[in-house]
Formats: sequence, structure tokens, C-alpha cells
Amino acid sequence: MKSWPVSGSEVLPFLIFTAFLRPPRRAGEASRPLIEYNIWAVSVIIKTEATSVNYHILRKDKLDGFIKSLARKMKVCAPVAKGHNNFAFEEVSSAGEIALSYIPTILPPKKYFMPQREKMLDFDLTGDQPKDAANLEAPGMAIFGVHTCDLAGIQCLNMVFSEKPRDYNYILRKEKVLIIGLECNAYCDGHASCALVGNHYPNGGYDLFFTDLGDRFIIHVNTQKGEELVEGMGLAKANPADMSALDAVREGKKKAFQNEIGTELKDLPAVFAKGTDSKVWKEVGDRCVSCGNCTNVCPTCYCFDMADTINLDMKTGFRTRTWDSCQFGTFATVAGGENFRSERSERQRHRLYRKFKYPIDKFYRSFCTGCGRCTRTCMAKISLKDTLKALVAENK
Amino acid sequence: MKITKTPVKSPAKAPKAAAKPKVAFFDFACCEGCQLQVANIGEALLDILGAIDVVEFREVMSEKYDKDYDVVIIEGSITDHHAEERLKKIRARAKVLIAYGACAAIGGVNGMKNSFKLDEIRQYVYGKDYKLFDSTPTRAIHQVVKVDYTINGCPIYPPELVEVLKHALRGLPYTVPDNPVCSECKLNENVCMYERGVACLGPWTKAGCNSWCVNNGNICYGCRGEVNHPAKNAAKDVIAKYNLKPELIKNKFDMYNKCKEGGK
Repeated sequence: MKSWPVSGSEVLPFLIFTAFLRPPRRAGEASRPLIEYNIWAVSVIIKTEATSVNYHILRKDKLDGFIKSLARKMKVCAPVAKGHNNFAFEEVSSAGEIALSYIPTILPPKKYFMPQREKMLDFDLTGDQPKDAANLEAPGMAIFGVHTCDLAGIQCLNMVFSEKPRDYNYILRKEKVLIIGLECNAYCDGHASCALVGNHYPNGGYDLFFTDLGDRFIIHVNTQKGEELVEGMGLAKANPADMSALDAVREGKKKAFQNEIGTELKDLPAVFAKGTDSKVWKEVGDRCVSCGNCTNVCPTCYCFDMADTINLDMKTGFRTRTWDSCQFGTFATVAGGENFRSERSERQRHRLYRKFKYPIDKFYRSFCTGCGRCTRTCMAKISLKDTLKALVAENK
Repeated sequence: MKITKTPVKSPAKAPKAAAKPKVAFFDFACCEGCQLQVANIGEALLDILGAIDVVEFREVMSEKYDKDYDVVIIEGSITDHHAEERLKKIRARAKVLIAYGACAAIGGVNGMKNSFKLDEIRQYVYGKDYKLFDSTPTRAIHQVVKVDYTINGCPIYPPELVEVLKHALRGLPYTVPDNPVCSECKLNENVCMYERGVACLGPWTKAGCNSWCVNNGNICYGCRGEVNHPAKNAAKDVIAKYNLKPELIKNKFDMYNKCKEGGK
């Protein structure tokens, strides 16, 4: 391994140099911040030396042993079948409980990073000065079987919660979670739009990443935590035949996964910029139930509400944060009763701008991960793909 | 994290060690099941009884009280003139009135009476001498007297009783969420009842119950009443998506929500 530059004066020219090594832009990919080029270049430099070093093999009949051994170390959560073609991430202790072939779960794994309801602090008003104590529950755990769309969702949340002011509960909890991804070799169903946003291939954001090669999994090791785990279990290194089998899977996906709306992701911000007054929003708003299902199941929706609850002694209590939804009629109501988005059409429009316009401007990244959950869960059959297509068609 | 705000002074209604607020329970047309839920609260009941002084509660005690009440908790709906007068007298003696349970809050199942012409239904129930029996269209408590707090549900959701009581004792307003039950059901990660092939009233019913019924494998019956702006058009999409009969949703709603339209 190359010895890395350590002082600032040595790092800077390196960063400038690597920034000019641009990775090939995939179809539908938005422009990236410079730092991503740096990361890409570094990863390429490492890769040349580590192509098969970072890959291990787990035979499928050994998966149960893998899960059991992991479960002895920490809590393990994985997709579990709930019936009626619904799945949910739940705690498991053996491979038999896991649904390896699953469509996106009801709730994305974001529930392990920002729980639906979370106690933030305890307070006590007994004395002259109120007292409070921050609360954090962050159990060490592993999430197994995270699809690439949900890995992208976690990456988005990482960006949001790392911004100042940082969300310490999120960041500290994230540090305790080991993420094991699982590749989709084919589409889950027709609602997904992962190829549109380039999330049908792994793009980091995991400790280990599993790809199904028929009788075995090939595991990409992405972090030291992941490496320690596979080394500890004594998993064999991948051989060249395994690597070409992985290449074959990826090659097959090129044909199977095609941009689902026929418009490049990079063209969408402009479509949205012109689409503020589109009649598409009225049509969607007329049908919306305002139940908040679409935002609750979204891997990148992170809005929350804070509320204090006092105990019956009327002196002590606690503060809770709960997932909120921009689709609720009261979400944008402020003191005095003014509501900035009283119409369903305005709220639906806002939701999609928060996926395809604002975050691309701010983070250079689509906050739609293409998982298709919002379409699947919508009581009124509002389809993300159809809405985007209608919006694009109007702009032609 | 520091709270910089100075603590709010205790409101006048806050319980004092010497004089705890006098609380009374009354019932009108109902099954008294919501009052029974008080006994089902479990350990929290001891804390509640530490904070209030129950002076009248027909289901558990025979004592009566002849002074003014700090808080009255009313179960049941108003279905005749006698009940109306009795309720008005109670209201006159109460500083704070809480409508308690679906019958009190929205009329509840008693509202089904309003689906018929009054005399028709009186005749059906009381026979040919029906005129001897006083009867009016069913009304929720707020349709007769001023209501300060509402605890929805059939039966009430015990944690909500505790929350509303705390708000009432501190003199603070309590806001019932104006979101559909789905909003809480999804946080509980239930498989949607429609996915199971069963029609559920969650998409139009007020949340606040933590999707209690669906968590336990049942549908939402709409016992908490409709959200303020129910999605009328969406009903068509839901019916189309799940291949249901249009009348089904309406009929299900009529079980609890008939008082909304008033009597015939």
C-alpha cells in the first residue's frame, strides 16, 4: 500500500490533482461536488491494488452460520416477510427468518437511524432553575440485506444530519450501526425508478455488500469494521472466477435496468424550475388523501415534530421527536393561523421539489432513491413515475 | 442543552396538595365502557388519583357532591329532552367540561338513530304508544353545551385520557391530531388493511389513538370521527384501487359518524 501524504501542503496538490481525474458520468447522473471526484480518484488508486483483495465469498449454505455468528455479537435486523407481499426490517437470529428476495420494506431502514418516536431529553422543573438531561439510545446493531436504494437513502440522511447544527442523536446512533448491503440482480417491481437516479448499482454507504452469484454470495468489504468481521469469520477470498461472475451480473443489469421515465435525471431540475404552476399538481392534489404515507415510507424524508410531555406530578417530563409529514394539512400552519401550504396540490408539489430540485441544488444529489415506496403505499394510486412523466410531457 | 425560558407560573387550576381539583364522571346514552377504561388504566391510575379528587362516579362510588366541580367528564350522547336539561345543569356547575368517548364526542353508535325519521324509529322501538316516550335526534355533547376538551374513541384510548387530563389540570389547550389514522399506522409499520383485502376507515379518521385497532389486527371503524378536511375524491381512487363497492365506505362511516349531519 502507498504511504499517504500527511501534511496540509502535501494533501492540497494531491486533492487538486485528483479532482481533475473525472469518473465517467453514468446516464442520468447529476454533476458532483469536487470532493466526490477526490474520493473517486482515491478509490480508483486503491482499487488497482485491491480488486480481489476486498472481495470475499460466502457459500449460501453458510449464510445461516454467518447470521447466527453475527447475532451472537450484536442485534441483527433484516427484511422479514409480513404477508401480502409486505416486508419489514425486524430483528432476526437466523437466516431462515430473512426474506432474501424482497420488495422494499414498509418502512426504510431510516427507522434505525432516526426512530419514529425518540425521547430527546428528560426535564425537571422542581427547583429554582429547570434541569434537563439529554437522552440517547444507540444500541450496537447490524442491518443485513439493505438494497442499494436504501443505502442511498442513508447516505442522503447522513448529509442532512451532518450539516450544522449537527444532529448528535443521529450521528452517534449511526456510528453504532453496521450496514450489510444486498444487490438487486433484477427489478423488485414496476414501481421502482432506481435506474433513473443511478441507484441500481452499489455506490458505497455500506460496511459489507453482498451480491448473489447463484450458489454463493460475493461480499465487497468497504470498511475496516466490515473487514474485521469477515476476517474473524475466516471467509475465503474471492478468486478471478468469482470476480468475472460478479462482472457478468453487473453486465446483465445494464440491460435489465433502464431509465424508467425516459428523461435524464440531470434534466429534471430544469423541468421542475419551469413546473411551479403546472396543472399536474392540481391533478395530483385532487386525489391526495393527506395521510402522509408517502413521506413516512420515504428513505430520505426526515421532517420531525418536537413536543414536551409533562408527567402527572406536573414537575417532571420529557421531550419527544416524532416523524412529521409535509402532507399533513397542519404542517405549514404557523402562529396566527396562516397556512403556507393549505392546498393538497401545494403539499404534493413541495414533496417532489424536495426530491428532485432543492437537494440537487444544495447537495448535488437526488433525494429520490428510486425505491418506489411512495407509489406502492399511496392510498390513491398516485404514481411518482407517472407524475414525473406528465411534468416532462408538459414541458416539451 | 439549556432551557433559557423562565418557568411558566402554575395556572390557577393546578392541583395543590391541600385542595386537589374536584372531578366528577357522568353518563348519558352510552354503554359506560369508556368509564370502565378508567379502571383499566393500571398503574397510572394511582398517579391520576394522586392528582385529582373524584367526587362523583356512579360506576365506582355512591357518594354525591353538591358544590361546583372543577372538571366534569361526560360520557354518552344526548337523546331526549330530560338528558338535555340534566347536561345543562351539570355544565352550569362545572368549570371545565370534557366530552369523553365517541358517544359524547361525535354522537357515536347512538347516531345511527338519525338515519331514520324520528317518529319511524320511535315506533319501531316503543311500539304503538311511542308518543309516551320522550326522544330527540341524537346529539354529541358539543351540539348541546360548550365543550372544553374532547377525548375521542370507542372506547377512549387510555394514554389520551391521561394527556387530556394533564392539559385540563394545567389549563392548557389540547390539540387532537387532524391527520388520518394512517399517519400513525405507518409509523407502527402495520401491513395496510387494504393490502390484506379489507376496507378500513383509517384514511379519513382522526389519528391520536396510535392506530390501536390496526395494531391488534382489526380495521379502523372511524370511532374518532372524520378529519376536518377528509379527501372526498380520494375515496374514488381507493375504491378503484382495491376493487370495492362505493357504498361500503359510506356505510362503515355511518356506524359512528351520523351525528355530523344532524337529525331528520
